[in-house]
Amino acid sequence: MTLSSGLTLAAVLALVTVVAVVMRPRGTSTVDFYLAGQRVGVATNAWAICGDYFSAASFLGVAAAVYATGLDGAWYAVGFAAGFVPVLLFVAAPLRRFGEFSIPDFLGRRLGSERVRLVAVGVVQLVILSYLVPQTVGSGITWELLVGQGVAGLSPYATGIVVSTAVVAALVSFGGMRGTTWTQAVQFLLLLGALLWLAATVLGEGFHYGDAVERISTAPLGNPAPDGGLATEPNALHPGEPAVFGEPGARYDVLGQLALIVTLAMGTAGLPHVMNRYFTSPTGTAARTTTVWVLCLAGVFYAVAVMLGTAARELIPRAVADNAWLEELTVDGVLTVPEHALPVLGRIYGGDAGLGVVAAGALIAVLSTIAGLLLAAATSWGHDVYERHINPRATQRQAVLAGRVTTLTTACLAAGLGLLLSPTTFSASTPSIVATMVTWAFAIAGSALTPVFLLSIWWRRTTAAGAVAGMSTGVAVAVGMLVAGTVADGSVWPDLLLTPTLLAAPVTTVVTVVVSRRTAPPPDVERSWLIMHGTAADRHAVALARLVLAETRRRRREVRRARR
Amino acid sequence: MDDDDVGTRDTPAEVDAAFRTLRRVSVGYFVVFLLGVAAFPVLTLTLDWWSQARLVGGMSPGFLVAAFGLYLFFAVLGIAAARLSSAVEHRMLGAAEQGPDGADAAEEDTP
Repeated sequence: MTLSSGLTLAAVLALVTVVAVVMRPRGTSTVDFYLAGQRVGVATNAWAICGDYFSAASFLGVAAAVYATGLDGAWYAVGFAAGFVPVLLFVAAPLRRFGEFSIPDFLGRRLGSERVRLVAVGVVQLVILSYLVPQTVGSGITWELLVGQGVAGLSPYATGIVVSTAVVAALVSFGGMRGTTWTQAVQFLLLLGALLWLAATVLGEGFHYGDAVERISTAPLGNPAPDGGLATEPNALHPGEPAVFGEPGARYDVLGQLALIVTLAMGTAGLPHVMNRYFTSPTGTAARTTTVWVLCLAGVFYAVAVMLGTAARELIPRAVADNAWLEELTVDGVLTVPEHALPVLGRIYGGDAGLGVVAAGALIAVLSTIAGLLLAAATSWGHDVYERHINPRATQRQAVLAGRVTTLTTACLAAGLGLLLSPTTFSASTPSIVATMVTWAFAIAGSALTPVFLLSIWWRRTTAAGAVAGMSTGVAVAVGMLVAGTVADGSVWPDLLLTPTLLAAPVTTVVTVVVSRRTAPPPDVERSWLIMHGTAADRHAVALARLVLAETRRRRREVRRARR
Repeated sequence: MDDDDVGTRDTPAEVDAAFRTLRRVSVGYFVVFLLGVAAFPVLTLTLDWWSQARLVGGMSPGFLVAAFGLYLFFAVLGIAAARLSSAVEHRMLGAAEQGPDGADAAEEDTP
């Protein structure tokens, strides 16, 4: 590790630690620990949601997917951004108005069933673990590039996983949702800053986006093959022809494109760490406005990430001659691990400091997402299981302690699974292992949770039995298809199997509706409707905030008068 | 949750009417969203110009849309849907707390 990259890393870790300490929960209540007192403003929450959502898959994975598969890689970016449209239209405001702590808590209360709550906890934990593992893989990759050395006999990759997971677990255990919100907001701004810095540097060095797309699209798209050479990517849309960077077909046929976008777009509304953030908004209208901010920020972020993936494909082959260190990372000028695209670009144009900035950005992306996921795990285990079923008489202090213990346990599990996986094992079969693994989490969330979630908010007749049947079916179909797609090489519809929501979500919906129609809805559904779709609580909160503001101003005036 | 407050301030009939209107708004915008996203693969299959023409700086129309256009589409759609939904809620709910000219009673009470 060079001095500049070491200093960058130390500065980032110091900054997030300071923010977590300054913004730690003021009380010991579970509302403070899990929901930051429900007083997070629109801009802060939007930045925190972006910090939560823009993970290693977004920072390293999108650019990597574009680098490896051209236009088809951009579908990851489109799908990740599209996910907030259904959230805005169907979920944000009613979810916040109903209140509660987590997705299982919402479903359990709305449908009046502890069974629903427990099944939802199981699904949520599966989603969290599927999302956590690629983040740990991303932290291992980043450490490998930034530091390049292991400690205590561990490899650099393993050291990255252990160190980052331990740091985040400690920060979350200490800071709770309040500290995590502010560290994530700061982390997002740093992450966006790193991405914009790299984009400005590359453009400043004379990179022209349109010319680059045209130039690299004149030759067939090639990537490293297992035999050590370059292999031309086949065209999925026009069999027999080679794939080209600037045209669709390098990875997906029409069904594959659609399946990937539906999986990512539907999955967002079922991601526990993102949805839990909406409970921290002061009102339903604020939650809706927050989502608009997120949509705009996501647009900027992903458009820049796609451009940088293109820049890496154009510029790295030309840089090999002048940068000897690139030879061990490339085959004929093409990176063997596509996730290295952005860090390598940073080092080419900014030297060790440039690598430090980009690697710190990647590490921030990983840290902030791991923090959100650990907090979501703590909420569902600590609040939905411990407080409800294991120790219903728990004091607030005991409940918060249970959340902290859960955080550490989940972190250990994710780090262990991350250590078992290595990115080079998969790089030949997927455009980006990090982005692909995150897709599994989206697939389970979008197949099992989102349909039940949407029906619970918008269909009065949804019942507990219907929700349990729907979630169980969704998980079974999604996991079954993912396993079949991974194991059965050369299957008829490999893309549909690996992005199963297009099929699994309708099945979940049909099962939920059919079972719900045969069972009785909860007795207090009209009361739930008034809370979810009425705005009385919002108006109440706004009126109260205005009164508090007026009172504060009045007191300040009185103090000023008294001083005179 | 302020359950009791909610029960006394929004009537079930008001909430039901607002819910139905918002459902129409959300489903309408969602259909526009689906058409926008689904148009890409359809155009890829049916129109050679979509993938092979070179427009701004050498990018094809398809690449331009995937690189910039869709994010702009999502943002514009989101802003429009949020504004309309909030306006619907404002007009259809909380009538009892609004004065004859539509101003919030709470606002009038604020010193």
